[in-house]
Amino acid sequence: MRRASNVIFPALCGFCAFLACGLLFGLVFVIAQRGLPAINWRFITEEIRQVGSEGGIFYNLIGTLILIGTACLVVVPLATGLALTHAVYARKASTRSRLGLFLYTLNGIPSIVFGIFGFIVFVKYFNWGKSWLTGGLLLALMILPTVTVALIERIKALPRKYLEAATGLGLRQSQIVWSIILPQSWSGLITGGLLGLARAAGETAPIMFTATIFAGASIPHGVRESPVLSLPYHIFILAQDSFDPAVAAKLWGSALVLLALVFALSILALPLRLRLHDEAQG
Amino acid sequence: MKPKDNCLLDESVSTAPAREIFRISNLSVVARGKSILRNVNAVIKANQVFGIIGPSGAGKSTLLRCLNRLSDLTPELEVTGSIEYRGRSINAPGIDADALRASTGFLFQQPVIFPTSIYKNVIFGLRHIRRGLSFAQLRETAESALREAALWEEVKVRLHDSALTLSVGQQQRLCLARVLATQPDVILMDEPTSALDPKSTAAIEELILQLKARHTIVLVTHNVPQARRVTDWLACLCLRDGAGEIAESACCDAVLTNSQCREVIEYLNHG
Amino acid sequence: MSAAERDLGVSLSRRLSFTRLASFAFSGLAVLTLAGLTLIFLVQSVPVWRHAGLGYLTGGKWFYRAHLFGALPMIYGTIVVALMALILAAPISLGAAIFTAEFLPRRLRLAVKITVELLAGVPSVIYGLIGILLLRNWVYDLFARFDPLSGDTLLTAGVLLGVMILPTVMTLADDALRGVPAEQRRAARSLGLTATESVLSVSLPQARRGLVAALLLGLGRALGETIAVFLVVGRQDNNLPESLFSLRPWLKAGQTLSSKLGGSETNIAYGDSLHWGAIVGLALILMAMVLIVTIAAAWQRKTTYAPSF
Repeated sequence: MRRASNVIFPALCGFCAFLACGLLFGLVFVIAQRGLPAINWRFITEEIRQVGSEGGIFYNLIGTLILIGTACLVVVPLATGLALTHAVYARKASTRSRLGLFLYTLNGIPSIVFGIFGFIVFVKYFNWGKSWLTGGLLLALMILPTVTVALIERIKALPRKYLEAATGLGLRQSQIVWSIILPQSWSGLITGGLLGLARAAGETAPIMFTATIFAGASIPHGVRESPVLSLPYHIFILAQDSFDPAVAAKLWGSALVLLALVFALSILALPLRLRLHDEAQG
Repeated sequence: MKPKDNCLLDESVSTAPAREIFRISNLSVVARGKSILRNVNAVIKANQVFGIIGPSGAGKSTLLRCLNRLSDLTPELEVTGSIEYRGRSINAPGIDADALRASTGFLFQQPVIFPTSIYKNVIFGLRHIRRGLSFAQLRETAESALREAALWEEVKVRLHDSALTLSVGQQQRLCLARVLATQPDVILMDEPTSALDPKSTAAIEELILQLKARHTIVLVTHNVPQARRVTDWLACLCLRDGAGEIAESACCDAVLTNSQCREVIEYLNHG
Repeated sequence: MSAAERDLGVSLSRRLSFTRLASFAFSGLAVLTLAGLTLIFLVQSVPVWRHAGLGYLTGGKWFYRAHLFGALPMIYGTIVVALMALILAAPISLGAAIFTAEFLPRRLRLAVKITVELLAGVPSVIYGLIGILLLRNWVYDLFARFDPLSGDTLLTAGVLLGVMILPTVMTLADDALRGVPAEQRRAARSLGLTATESVLSVSLPQARRGLVAALLLGLGRALGETIAVFLVVGRQDNNLPESLFSLRPWLKAGQTLSSKLGGSETNIAYGDSLHWGAIVGLALILMAMVLIVTIAAAWQRKTTYAPSF
């Protein structure tokens, strides 16, 4: 009986793991199968025509890159500030735990809430209309916890000997931060940043009221009334209406390109994460 | 504690041939290409306290873990050679390693207590190994195990308190009781007193001497006076070419005066 | 400079350090933004509270043209869909996590973990697309004898969400199980317990808090998910069961808080302060629900720390 359960239980659990992995491969397979026919050089370098049934997704790709690029620029100083406050400057443990709770809470906020917030503040109150900058700011806010936590963990993993040696030499705190802590832990920014950007690239809800439109935009000029096209929103609109066969192939092609972008960003972070994981194992 | 003053140098002098519990032949252990143990040979007899002594890194703990196949839990370890438990090889394919571990108790250097009550700790192993025991039987076995481990008097009124409230010395005795509850005939001990204060150490050593009447004990230690006090037979594991080899395996006084092991012994004496 | 002056000089400049100020400023900015967000929502939703009071939460009818704002069907939809997702995902993700944390060697465990993490990163719009392509027809066919109007139902959204939160719950559960010290497992095995018994008697009980937190965080994600739900839930208002345990609404098109917020009403409501207040109120309710779950999860974990996500 004990021996039987010692075979059945691991087998059951293994089946669950197999199912979980199978779902990923199945998903990728379905999208690749339907999307691959539409992918060619023209698809990626041309702009959409005829409401998505002609042309390519060039400006959608550009728009998404603009959005995540902006998000990246905005999130780096914010996350660094938060991480330094938490890991270096906060004297009291209560400050640290409150900051941690803040990050935890921020991470759980539904993305549509950010979209509505941006709508109220930037689109209406500041009167910017739809703007790529709004999108970048909201996405930065959304991925702030991911990037911050990755950086905090990296800072905490720094060997004490570096800090002790520097303090012993008489360096001031800010000098230690800039000459030792930040240079040694920037890999945390990279891994967190890549993971955050992977998430930001695929988000629709924060940008659909604030930054993106379906057609009629290319490269934005200025900040006000300068929306961009984007991949996820493009897919979102077309998906609600997916019965035109000419559109369908392009729809799956767009989905494949978006998936490839998201995976590429996540996979880029892998070697660094694996190395840090190995280091941590000792 | 009386130092041992009598030593049987030759087995043939003993009045009755003692049963072999473990026979280790040509045991070698390699981890990731690095040799940890090389060509270890030993015979462990029934109802004796078999000591394994040596410098750190010589592979004493690894050797102990091979005896109950706890080494299986570390996949990097490649074990070659043969270990026979009561005449049967334990590395043969059909062997139930879990059953082997049930009949050989293991005491770790740091007492490992489960986060539950004292009583539940004691019957933890027993509950799984022998299903169908009635509540009364469990209670009885727990009590006799705790008595055998000399812990009963101290905990009998608070059996359902958390085991984490016990002192380290008491926790180690609790681990011993937990092992004894499964009624093993061999108890493997990996430096069981190195984390304990002198009083608890003395208590455990006293217990070892009492336990050997009904169990066989294999004790890894780096404490020479302890070896002198407690063991009947001593194997000295020395580092040669980076791997542990048995330098000498004999009755303990013989080992402690052996020239090959003397350096090691003196190092341990001073350390 | 004397030693004392030097000391004073050093500690003074430490207090006035630019980096320190900037860090505090940025942290403050982030926190203030969140606080501002909450405040703005509260203020802008006031009209609907004045108009409908508690009836906003308990009212079962939403007809904005008639200024009737009852959020209950959407609260119901959100909860039903999220719970369905959790019930579907929990056993599979827990089983998978147990397998990777307890039975797999280190290399394979990493490989599976990476695969599952990639799955967790798939954008919701793509899940929505798959839901439209595959799930819709599957649900429609499977439940044909109950005569559904289409494949876009609460059930469809629940199943899709289940697949979406599966990888999230699994990685968190795996982390929780790995947090149990190896020596505890070793001690159990040394007593003669089988690997399975060790998992059931040692790993699972000791990882209990982390596992509950994993489930709660998955629930939080399911509650807040917008795009995928939007695409397959049918977006039909006022789908509320007649009696408490009737399952009829599950096979009908429904509406969740997030799917309403992502819809066209949000765009047209802005001019009308009452209508807009009702919309923002929905966002507030959603935030409150997610907040409760998030805080419960944080309380379960030993550190009030964001997990490695």
